[in-house]
Order: sequence, then C-alpha cells, then structure tokens
Amino acid sequence: MGTSAFAHHSRAMFDHTKQVNLVGTVKEFQWTNPHCWIQVLVPDPSNPGAAPVEWGVEMGAPVELMRKGWKPGSLNAGDKVTIVINPLRDGQHGGLEVSVTGPDGKIIGRPAPATQ
Amino acid sequence: MTPRLITGIAARRLLPAVTLMLIVGCPLPAGAQTSSPQTSSKARVEAFAKLPDWSGMWELDAFVGQSDGQQFSAEGQRRLAYYAAALKPAFTPEYQAKFDAIRKEVAAAVAADPNHPPMTHQPLCGAPPFPATLTPGMYEWLITPEETDFISTVGAVRHIYTDGRSHPPKDELWPTLMGDSIGHWEGGTLVIDTIATKQRLYTGELSGFFFPMSDQLHFVERVRMIDRDHMQIDYTAEDPIALTKPIHATILHSRVTDFNRMVEEEDCEENERDPVVNGRFTTVVK
Repeated sequence: MGTSAFAHHSRAMFDHTKQVNLVGTVKEFQWTNPHCWIQVLVPDPSNPGAAPVEWGVEMGAPVELMRKGWKPGSLNAGDKVTIVINPLRDGQHGGLEVSVTGPDGKIIGRPAPATQ
Repeated sequence: MTPRLITGIAARRLLPAVTLMLIVGCPLPAGAQTSSPQTSSKARVEAFAKLPDWSGMWELDAFVGQSDGQQFSAEGQRRLAYYAAALKPAFTPEYQAKFDAIRKEVAAAVAADPNHPPMTHQPLCGAPPFPATLTPGMYEWLITPEETDFISTVGAVRHIYTDGRSHPPKDELWPTLMGDSIGHWEGGTLVIDTIATKQRLYTGELSGFFFPMSDQLHFVERVRMIDRDHMQIDYTAEDPIALTKPIHATILHSRVTDFNRMVEEEDCEENERDPVVNGRFTTVVK
C-alpha cells in the first residue's frame, strides 16, 4: 500500500485493494482545504427510474492537485465524468480519487515530474 | 529597450535582495527600537552578500516523483524507508515501555475497527511541531544576517537567530511548538541548535506520531545546499533521559520545480470532512 502524502489524516479508511468506477454527473467540485472533493450523482443503469445516488470523492489538497495539473475550474456542475475511486471500507457512498476522466474523454491532470 | 517584467523564479531570487535594499535604504523613524545594536548599512549588506542563496521552494525529497499527488513514487517510498530506519530511536527502558504501550494501544484500536482509523498523531491540522523540516509540505528559507526563517505551506514558521545570541536563560524558557533555535554559519552551512520544544519526537511510525520525550530533548541540524537542486540536513536528536544514544539522520530536500508560490495547505476549518469522532477518523460523504 502506498504511503499517504496526506498531511492531516490516515487513509486507512479507504480500501486500496478495490477500485470502483463511478459514471455520473458532477453536482459540485469543492476546491478547498484540507481536501478537495467531487460530489457526483451516479444513476443506476439497471434501474433508470430511480433517483441517482450521490457519492463523495475525496482528493488531495488544492496545492497537491495543482501540481498534478488540476485547476479550480477543471470540473463544473453538470460535467459528465467517470471517476475511479478506492471505496470507503465502511460502505458509505464515498472514496478516494484515483483518476477522473472529464467530459472530453481525457484524464484530468498529469503525473508529477519524474524523480530527479 | 522595453522594460521586461521579472516574474516567477527570477523574481523570487531578487526578492530578498530587493527587500534588504528597501530595509537598509529606509532610515528608521525616530524612536524606533531594534532588538540588536544597529549595524551600518554597508556592513549589513556585506554580511548578507556572504550568505548563501537558498531562494526558491523546497520539500522533502520523498515527495519527488509522486505519481498521482496522493501516493509516493517507488523512489519516494525508498527514501521514506531509509528515513524511518535512520530515525528509529533507541529508547531507555522507561521510554521503550511507554512507546510499546502506545503502539499496543494503537494496534488494538485498529483491530477493533479497521474502517475508522484511530487518530494517533498531533496536531491534526495546522503547523506541524518541530522538527517541521521532517514533515510534509513545501517551504522556503528566508535568510538575513540576523536570522534565518523556515516558512512552510502547512503553517510552520521557525525563527533561527544568527545574531550571536545564546538561548535564553532557563527561567525564561518554556516549551513551544518550534522551541528556541539559535544558529551560526560555517561557510555555507547553517548550524541550528534547538531546545525547549514541546518534547516530542517524530518517529515516522504510527501515521507520523509525535512521541513525548523528556525536557532535555535537544536538536542540532547542519543545513547546506549540496547542489543547485538539493539541500542536505544532517539531523541529530539527543535526550539523555529518553534515549540511550542520539539519533542521527541525513535528510535530503529537493527544489520544487512545478510550483512557485507559497499558499497555505492546511486550513481544516475551511472544509473538514474527515472529522475525528470519539478518537477515530470518520468521513462525511455529502
């Protein structure tokens, strides 16, 4: 398991052995400290009449995201996205962001510079 | 010739010099007090000119090559493993027993509820205590003839006085987050002596746990730039009550090349969605 770069809390609440794909619509992008969050509405394809489920996706701090190519306006409400997360262990609808594919079909951000 | 706006790293390099010129160029108002005898402007500028240029932003080298902003790269992991081994304390029996008790307590708490990790380190947010130079965050050095400051994006500010003073007398000292630091220059190396911290040692274990030590905890750091992009800190921690031998580690910091301004990273008041409830981290998903 990777060591957390999070300064302020453990990441042991996320299951790093699992990945979940969330395909949905951004409700809100929170560019905030200590962490950025994406609130995303995810419909259930097997039950199109049901209300979509809201998931909370935790990310790094704004500075961490900016260093990997994100900007405060990288996502907006209404954007169609696919988000890969490590889900919360406790079963709530939330997780840790692994990658986000934006409305243009491209992954947002870039890897950090290579080790010098 | 068209005037050119100096921005970015060039501006950062010029800033200390410009600031100094502004300081020495402006006479103090009548009655203004300084904490040390006034040196002549010329002597002060000459003293400044002899000091190294550590401008720019720095961070622990373990952060270099972070693959996704949240995970360490393989090289980062290797560096962290080295630091964890180098910083491993050799406790006296009394302190080893205290440490083992806490480790056992944490292990039991994790086993009891792996879904909600126990809060084991402090502070949860805001400035990490001394030695902030070992903990996450980008930072910059601000060097003047009288003092060098370490300023971190996660809120730590260390004042290292290099004006020749000693530590204050014992009856004027009390434990603080950063302790009392004095320093002197040996060529391009800043030697820092720190006492009166809140008697905690960063162990690198247990999610950055700061372990309580005795009031004789004492740190010495030797800081120097080994090349344009790397800073080396030879770190020593000693505590004759808690440790059987001093801790020595050589810590490398790398120049930050993908970000060039100081912005705060640790304002938990803004949007804290991982609150600690009954000593455990919880997550508020909406």
